[in-house]
Amino acid sequence: MSSKVLVALRIKAPPLRVFEVFTADIGAWWRPNPLFSFTPRSPGVLAFERTGEGTRLVERLSSGKVFEIGPVRIWDPGRRLVFGWRQASFAPGMDTEVDVRFEPVDDETRVTVEHRGWDTVPIEHVARHRFPDAVFLQRHAEWWRALLTSLASQAAMDVQERAKEGDA
Amino acid sequence: MPRASLTSALCYRDPKAALKWLEAAFGFELVMLIEDNDGNLAHSEMSFGDSLVMIGAEWTEKHKSPASIDGFNTQSVHIHLDGDIDAHCERARAAGAEILMEPADQFYGDRTYRCRDLEGHFWTVGAPIRAVSVEEAEAASGLKVVKGWA
Repeated sequence: MSSKVLVALRIKAPPLRVFEVFTADIGAWWRPNPLFSFTPRSPGVLAFERTGEGTRLVERLSSGKVFEIGPVRIWDPGRRLVFGWRQASFAPGMDTEVDVRFEPVDDETRVTVEHRGWDTVPIEHVARHRFPDAVFLQRHAEWWRALLTSLASQAAMDVQERAKEGDA
Repeated sequence: MPRASLTSALCYRDPKAALKWLEAAFGFELVMLIEDNDGNLAHSEMSFGDSLVMIGAEWTEKHKSPASIDGFNTQSVHIHLDGDIDAHCERARAAGAEILMEPADQFYGDRTYRCRDLEGHFWTVGAPIRAVSVEEAEAASGLKVVKGWA
C-alpha cells in the first residue's frame, strides 16, 4: 500500500498503558474532523467493540446506528495495533489501513501512526475534497498529529488519576 | 510539541536515506512522513530537543543537495547539544559522518565539532561546557562583543 502519512509522538506513559488508553478510551481522546468524517451523520463516538484480533473499530452515531470503520487485523497489546479504515463514501476496492506501533524510549513511549493506502482512493473522490494529493495528505497528517497530542493528554491524565488512587 | 518560529528545511537527492542516516548519526526522530502514490517522499519532519528540521527532495530546479552542486553549501544547521559531545561525535562517525573538525573547546565556552553528512551538508554541533565573561572572550579572541553576550 502506498500513498501514506506517518506521524510519531513521544508520550509520557509505558507502552502497555498507552495501548490501553488508545483502545479502551478512544471515545474520550478522539477529535472528529469535519474534513474527514466517516459518515454524513458523523460525528458519533468511536469504540473498539471488544479486545483482540477479529474485533472492529466502529463509530456509534446518535441515531443508534453503528458504522464499521474497519476490522482489527493485529492486536498486540503494548506493541502494535493494525486496523482497516473506510469512510461510508468509499466504493468497493477503496480501503486504507492504520498501523500503530508502541515502542519504549527512555521512560516514555514512542507512538507511530502509519496511515496507508490512500492510492486506492482516486484524487477526484469526494473524500478528498478536490485537494491536490499533497495538500490532502498534509491535512490528514496534521489531523493525526492533533489526535496523538490528544491521546498524550488523555494518557497523562490517566497516569495522574492512577497516582492519586495510589495515594488514597 | 510547541512549534519553534524558525525551522530549517534541507534538500537531499535521496531524502529517505537521509532520514535513516540522520537518526543513526545524530539521534533525530522522525515525527512526520508523507509519501505520494508512487512512494516518493513528499514531506517529512524530524525532531531533536525542542526543534524540527524538514527533510525533502530537490523539489524545484533551484533546490539542490550539495551532492548535486559539487559539494557547495549556502547555509548550515547548528545543533545545540546538552550532553556529551565527544560521544555524539563518535556516534556520527560510526554512522559515516566525515568529521571535518574533531571536538575542541572554543573561547566562548562551548565544545564543538563539525562534520559533513552523506550528501555533503555541513553540520556543526556544540555543547556548553563553561561560562565565559565578555572580558575573557574578548581577550582570548581579539574580537569586540558589540551586543548580546549573556
